[in-house]
Amino acid sequence: MALRYIDRQLNIADYALSGFKRRVARNVVVVFIFALVIFMVASFSLTTTSLKQAAGRLLETVPDITVQKMSAGRQVSLTEDAVDKLENIFGIRSVRPRVWGYYFDENNGANYTVIGHPKLSEKSPLPGLGIDYLPEMQLDTVAENAVIGRGVRQSLELGSRRTFSLFRPDLTLKSFITAGAFGADTSMVTDDLIIMDLQAARDLFGLAPAEITDLLVDVANPLEIDNIADKIGERLQGVRVVTRERIAKTYRVAFGWRSGFGLACLFGAMAAFAIFAWDKATGLTPAQQREVAILKVVGWQTEDVITLRFWESIIISASALGLGYLGAWMHLLFFDGVLFRPVLLGWSVLKPPVSLIPVFSIGDLLIIFSLSVLPYLAATVIPAWHSAAIRPDSVI
Amino acid sequence: MKIELKAVEKYYNRGGSNQVHALRGIDLTIDANETICIHGPSGSGKSTLLSILGGIIGPTIGSAVVGGKKLARLPDRFLTLYRREHIGFIFQRFQLIPELSVLENVTLPLLPLGVRPAQQKKRAMELLEKLEIDHRSDFPAAEISGGELQRAAVARALINDPSIIIADEPTAHLDTRLSEDFLSIMSDLKKLGKTIVIASHDPLVSESPVVDRCLYLRDGALAAAF
Repeated sequence: MALRYIDRQLNIADYALSGFKRRVARNVVVVFIFALVIFMVASFSLTTTSLKQAAGRLLETVPDITVQKMSAGRQVSLTEDAVDKLENIFGIRSVRPRVWGYYFDENNGANYTVIGHPKLSEKSPLPGLGIDYLPEMQLDTVAENAVIGRGVRQSLELGSRRTFSLFRPDLTLKSFITAGAFGADTSMVTDDLIIMDLQAARDLFGLAPAEITDLLVDVANPLEIDNIADKIGERLQGVRVVTRERIAKTYRVAFGWRSGFGLACLFGAMAAFAIFAWDKATGLTPAQQREVAILKVVGWQTEDVITLRFWESIIISASALGLGYLGAWMHLLFFDGVLFRPVLLGWSVLKPPVSLIPVFSIGDLLIIFSLSVLPYLAATVIPAWHSAAIRPDSVI
Repeated sequence: MKIELKAVEKYYNRGGSNQVHALRGIDLTIDANETICIHGPSGSGKSTLLSILGGIIGPTIGSAVVGGKKLARLPDRFLTLYRREHIGFIFQRFQLIPELSVLENVTLPLLPLGVRPAQQKKRAMELLEKLEIDHRSDFPAAEISGGELQRAAVARALINDPSIIIADEPTAHLDTRLSEDFLSIMSDLKKLGKTIVIASHDPLVSESPVVDRCLYLRDGALAAAF
């Protein structure tokens, strides 16, 4: 009985496939339009997943805890003596001061992220910057050293030059020499970044000596991060204590919101396609009506005709899903998700040239399947009930 | 298989302003292995009568009993099963699907039965061979001659080995030679014990020795038998 059922399904699926070939021109158009819609949804979804993964990898190197002083709900600077107040908390491995701010380059209309770090001049790795990457350093003993992102290098049009200048708040120029540049693998967070000595950053932003913007704390036991964050909050009044998990959550929410917004827009395209599919499914041509009537006269049940429509829809939607998903994969792999990247990364003059690697996710595939194949099946199989009920005597 | 119609009436759009009284008080018995021809002008109800005999539609009033089974009250699903198991239809203009090959057209009734492709092909090729069109099996129906279409339609009607063959104006679009060929095929089927009902205007059919009895239908009622 079960074998007979399977054979029946295979026979009808085979007939549906031959029907697809018979009406190949019409079906190819439908598959192409459908694949295009799936390509957009899948590209969006794959780009989002890939960005989340890239962000997740980079966040692994973010300090365990970042401490910032708040006043009237806004961040204000704090003094370096706060380091001493935290260093004796049990479980803290290290506390480092940092100056962090934005520099607007009027000539290029670009915003750079400037970080002042106490250990830049020591020719050592740059711990606690959220960047576990040490560029090839060529430290100059006379000029101020800076390590810059690839976007900054392009924006400043440095070419083979190593020196560049930035304005202080009093419009005097401060010169730097590039000691190194960050690699492409960290460009998502380093593209617009300039790292300099802590004192140089204070000088550039016009901060007082010993003034810093935040403290970076590393904790010995990751399970204790929340406890230590609480202790820091108790010890330093009026500070905001941000853990790595909280930053990660913010990233996830930002990408989730953007991708959700994008998918909502694309859902309109899906709905339009479903209406188009419904319209096609309800409006059978006279030849198709005749075919259904012939099938019914020779012994096909209404449910057999619906099964036929189901298989036809499966063939069309599976082809479109395969093509659309493959296209989205290639779009991400070879074109770096160029169509949806600006939407997801945000618009800025310096767009991080992060390399996106497609990540296969069953969850993503199920979402794409639910947003594309299921509505198409519903839009074609439900009205098939009506068309399958054609009276067989219409051919007599 | 014996067919019995008792006091059969058929209305279309009953009670409506466009009501059609297609069949009126039909009493008819067709014995197993009998071949009958139904005559009558266009609109006389021949196709409606064939549809009731073939289980495509039910009568509005009266009873249709085929092989001891009452068709009149059967739901659509069971009428389809009845057609699938017992009836082979041959239509005016043959009603093959033009884009499908002859072989695919012939095997259509077997698909929902779950017959495997190799078995389908074997049965269809045997029939096509008997009807001498096996050399055309891979040709699309749109590309074969009228005589070949007719044979392909007969093969499709016989693929399920039905006990009743119903043919609606089967020679209407054929020349004399092809019409004679068709009657020869019917003669062979009669020898195999099939019950055959043919609706036709064609005197070649009504005067053929294969036909046991002719009925004349006018305005939905049986007017004469000869």
